Formats: sequence, structure tokens, C-alpha cells
Amino acid sequence: MLTSQIADKGVTLTEFVVEASGLTKIYGQHIAVNGVSLQVAPGSIYGVLGPNGAGKTTSLRMLLGIIDPDRGSRRLLGSDRPTSVRSRIGYLPEERGLYPGMKTTEAIAFMGALRGLDWHEGRRRGAEMMAELGLERVTGEKIRKLSKGMAQMVQLIGAIVHRPELIVLDEPFSGLDPVNQERLEALVHRERARGATVLFSTHVMAHAERLCDRLAIIARSERRFEGTVDDARALLPMQVRYTPRDGTDAAAVAAHLPVGAQCTHGEWRFAIDAAGVEPLLVRLTGSGLGVAGLSIARPALHDAFVHIVRQVDASYRGDSELAATAEDAA
Amino acid sequence: MSSFIRIMTVVARRDFLAIVATPTFLLFLLAPLFMLAMGLVGGMGAAGLAESNRSTGRIVALTSETNVEALRIADARQRPVVGQFGAPLLEVRSVDATPDEATIRAVFAESGSDTLAVMVGPLDYPRIWEREEGSRSGRYLALIAEEALRDAATGANAARTTAQFQQLAVAGPSNAARQTIGFGAVFVLFFLTLLLAGQTVSSLAEEKSNKVIEILAAAAPLEAVFLGKLLGFLGVALLFISFWVLLALVAGLVAAGMLSGAAVPAGGLSAAAMAAAPATGWAFFLGVGFLYFILAFLLLGAIFLGVGSQAATVREIQMLSLPITIFQVGMFGLASAASSAPGSPLARMAEAFPFSSPFAMAARAATDPDRLVHLAGLGWQLLWVMAVVWLAARLFRTGVLSGRGSWAFWRKAALPELTKL
Repeated sequence: MLTSQIADKGVTLTEFVVEASGLTKIYGQHIAVNGVSLQVAPGSIYGVLGPNGAGKTTSLRMLLGIIDPDRGSRRLLGSDRPTSVRSRIGYLPEERGLYPGMKTTEAIAFMGALRGLDWHEGRRRGAEMMAELGLERVTGEKIRKLSKGMAQMVQLIGAIVHRPELIVLDEPFSGLDPVNQERLEALVHRERARGATVLFSTHVMAHAERLCDRLAIIARSERRFEGTVDDARALLPMQVRYTPRDGTDAAAVAAHLPVGAQCTHGEWRFAIDAAGVEPLLVRLTGSGLGVAGLSIARPALHDAFVHIVRQVDASYRGDSELAATAEDAA
Repeated sequence: MSSFIRIMTVVARRDFLAIVATPTFLLFLLAPLFMLAMGLVGGMGAAGLAESNRSTGRIVALTSETNVEALRIADARQRPVVGQFGAPLLEVRSVDATPDEATIRAVFAESGSDTLAVMVGPLDYPRIWEREEGSRSGRYLALIAEEALRDAATGANAARTTAQFQQLAVAGPSNAARQTIGFGAVFVLFFLTLLLAGQTVSSLAEEKSNKVIEILAAAAPLEAVFLGKLLGFLGVALLFISFWVLLALVAGLVAAGMLSGAAVPAGGLSAAAMAAAPATGWAFFLGVGFLYFILAFLLLGAIFLGVGSQAATVREIQMLSLPITIFQVGMFGLASAASSAPGSPLARMAEAFPFSSPFAMAARAATDPDRLVHLAGLGWQLLWVMAVVWLAARLFRTGVLSGRGSWAFWRKAALPELTKL
């Protein structure tokens, strides 16, 4: 559906809605983003994950053409000039902003009008979408009278009121209560069902885990991972907790478990690859050790994210230690 | 409608309504009333002071008894000739001998009124002491001394010249009047731009403080946003001007209705007023003057918008007001000098310098009948509006949006970005 919309508008068909290659932004001595590459397929939900200050916002700003990269290239909706396809993009910036003196529907219509939507149609759609999101009681209220969360939802509606093909949301969940977070997730799913591609940044893993088809993890200005949620989770081994039958000899148990297994109060804990699960079960049942308790848990996206970020941080610390050692040696 | 123009009008509409649809706009609209009231109070004070000065000033003649009456007669005859403000009150005192300097100093030091000049000695060779060298008061004392001396020689009843004064309406323009009109145009344009264009300096502050700027930057070319803001403010300015023009017209009609028919000259404007028409004619002059106002507004507004967009805080914006006002006054000074010397190299420079050009060209329309030159002038200024807006948007993008810091656009890293198309 999306590709046909693109074709209708006379733009060269492309496999990806967003393509970025080696995006780099340097401010003075500080490298804000270093060689980040992304590819977002049409109709997908793509997450850009990273700790605070990792370079997510700068990457999104470069993608959208708000700022130009120092190196690298980007291609949005088939165009090398992101600014030429502005009207087909919806964007919610990290720093929320609305004119406090404007009424909600006017603010939505204004944002739509900037992207080429008729004012009257913008007001109509705005009121409709507010009702859908349970905000009908503040329709026509001035922005300054809204709570922060409500204002954020109004801004989100303003960002998508013109029914864009690509929706870019920078930290859309921050500042929202759980109810509104759920509404926002539903809205993202609905927009994807409409045919839009959604690209969003976050550092809250639960949303990414539920929403994303694919994701990229950025840490220390560089992309450290790209793939599906499952791919990310597969980076870490399965976590196993095993309790043998009472009275079993610990040494005998240890002999049947992977190296590094640790026992606490009779419960053994160890990690194994996904491929090692079945052999383990065969081993345990055939060993006569018995099974009083067994849990095999896949790691969450949160664990994978923390693991990746810690690895990156550790490598930086290692570099500096090496540098210090080298200096000492000199 | 191209997307650039559409975005421009969307931004202009938002800004126009955001300013006009507030109670504070009424205060802004009525601000000239306060200025008029203040001016009236100030003018009354100044007039009172001037009147007070006149009533306390005097000139003194210390002369022999025989000359006292002659001087008074001469004063009575000459005073109407020199006019109401031509000479201070005359005080004639009889003295037996020519007073010495100490006596004269004592007269100057007397309290009650300022002594502006003192005449002593014989009428054919008087000595006049004056507070200011070359003063009119001193010359007037010399004049009545000569008059009294002539009376003594020819007799008070001798035949005298009786002049009749009659006004003659001279056909053709007066160069001085045209220059005055030119200066008037410069002043009006300066006043309006000072009042209205300076406001654009703070126009991006709202977007920055509300964080709307990133939405605008993502959705639209910043040049269109900047131009839209300028247009929005121009709309406010035109509304302001329309309001006052309308008010003046209504006041004029009411005043005309209150006057009796006999009080209005049969021919409408007097011949003198007609002679003071600008060289290009009133219709063209007013029309092109209006266009120059728009361009002066856009030009100066674009500068202020660009400078103001670099400011990060309200305090910085306030700090920018003084240099901006000084800049405006500088342009006014340059254009004023040009209006008083039409055709001079200075005038040509003021006409060519983009930021004084609208003022100087409006003044030129009053003194130079060439109309085509204004097409070039308007085009030249429009070009500069575009250039300034483009540069301002670039500075904004490379400086503020990139997070480099508001005034760091001159850094090496930013300069290449400025040159990118």
C-alpha cells in the first residue's frame, strides 16, 4: 500500500522508507553520532534504542534534515533530500512544544497546515482523533490549561493529523502515564495498520519489545546492534535454574552441568545457548539426578540492551586503562 | 500555491492572530495616544518655559534724560516691525554720565528679569554690552538708537516709508518645500519602523521558549518560517497604520463638519500648500512611500529577526534592543542628511545602502521627478530582504538548531554550513 502511494507521487520506488549510511555529526571535539546506518522497511515499526546521550535525537534530526550530517548519506521516502518530502513525514520531537495560547484543535490544524493539510480538515480530524483517544473533554481548550501528558497527546495528534507515510517519534512515551502509554502503543499499531512506517526512539525497553519489528541500539554515538527483538535477546544465553532431587551429591550434579554453574541453597544457576537446551534435558533425565525444579528463561530485551551498553562502556574503560598502562610503561 | 508560500502564509496567519487577538494589542494600538498626550504635556511645558523666558528677558538703555523719550518712540515704532518675538522688553533709564563697567555689571546682575543687553553712551556712538555675542537684542538696541537719532535730525513728523505686505502665490514648486516633504517622509518612515519593525527581534523567542521551533524546522524551510513571521508582523503594522489613518480621516471629517463653510477656502488647499507638492506628484509619492515603508519594515525586520533569533534568552533579547535602536537612528540620520542634500554623493550613498535606501528613496521621490528609478530602488531592497532572510535562516540553522550555542555561528565548523545551498 505504501509503495503504491509513493509510486503515485512520482517518487522512485525504494525497498526502504528510511536508509541512512554512515551518518556522522561532530560538534567541535565531540562526536555526537559516528557512522550510524539504518534501514527501515515500509510499513514496519522500527525502534532506535540507546541510553541517554547516546546520539538518538541527533540521528533522527539528521535523518529528517533538521541538521545536516558532517559525513554519510540519508534517503527518506525515496528522496536524497529529506526536506523535499517533509509533507509526507510526521515528527514528534523530544522537546515537546505547543503554543500555549492556542486551542487544541487549532494547534493540531496548525501543525497539519504546515504539512499541507487544509485548516478546516485539520480541525475536523483533530477533534475526531482527540475523541478516539479519550480527549474529547479538552477539545477546544487552550493548550495552557492541559496537563503535560494531555498536551503531549495533542502534539502527537498534530504530528500525524496529515496522515503521513513516515512517522518519526523521539521518546514518545516519556512523560505519559501508563494509560496514555497504552493509548500511544495502540495508536502506533493503528498507524502501522493504515500503512505508515513508524520510527521511534526510546530508552524504555518494554515499549520497544512490544512494538518493534526491528531495532537498532546506539551507544556512545555508534550503532552497536541492528536486528529484530529476538535477535537482540538471542545475544544472551538462556538462564537456567535447576533443583535436583533431595539428597543428591553436589559433585555428581556439577559433573552433569555446564562449567560455571553455581549452587545457592540447593538451586543451581547457569546459562546455556538455545541449542543446548534439549541436550541438557536429555542429560538431566538420563543422569538419575531427578528434577525437583527447573526453569529455562529467555533473556528480555532489557537484559540484552544492558548487556550491550555495559560491553561498550567496558571497552571504553578498557581502552583508557590500556592508555594509562601504556603511559606508565613509557 | 507552492509549498513555500503556503507555509509562509500559515506562519504569518498564526503570528498575526496570536498578536492581534489579545487584549494587549489594544494597548499597543493606542500607544500613539499616550505619545501624543505626553507630547502635548511636554509641548505645553516647553511653551510655558519659552513664554516665561520671554517675559523675564529685557534690554536696557542707560542714556541721558534728553534721549529717553526718543528711544521709547523709536521702540514703539520698530517693535511691530520686528514682530512679537523680535525683541525683549525695553527699559530706558536716565543717567547723568556714561556708566562705568561696574554699574553695567550691576544691571546685568539685577534680579527679577534676565538682562540680555545694555546700551550706554551717546546715540551716535553707543556702546552695547550683550550677554551673547551677536545677539538679536543687541542689534535691536542699535536699531532704535539709529531711529531715535534720525528722528532728532529730521523731526518726528518727517515723511516715512509705509510698506504694504501682500502674499503672492508663486506658480511652480519650492525646492525647500520639497526637501521638507522629503524629510517628512524620512521621519514618518523612521517613526513607523522604529515603532513596529523592532518588535520582530523577539518574534522567535516564543518558539524557542515553547520548544515549537523544532516542529517548525522539521515541517518547513526556515526561510519560509522567517518570511512568514515577517509577513505576520507586517500585517500587524498595516493594521496599526490603517487604524490610525481611518481615525485621522474620521477626525478630519468631523472637524470639517464643525467648521462653517466660510472658514474653508473656496479653492480647497491654499496655493502655498499646492506649491509644496512632491516632484513625483502626491499620488505617486504616497503610493511609493507606502511601498518603501513595507520594504523598510521587511528589511529592518529581517535584520532584527535574524539577530533576535540568535538570542537564547529574554535577557539577551532585551540587551539587543539598544544596538538595534541605535542602528535605526543611524539609518534615520543618514537618510535625513540625504534628504537635505538631494543629488549629492551622500544622498546617492544613502539611496544605495540597503538599510537606509527605503528612507532615502522616499525622500528622493519628493525632490526628483524621475519615477522609474523607484522601480530599481524597490527591486534592490527586495533583493536585500531575501538575502537577509536567507542568511538569518542559515545562521539560525547552523547556530541554534545544531546545538552549537546561540552566538557560535562564526566558528570554523559552522562556516562551511553557511555556504551550503
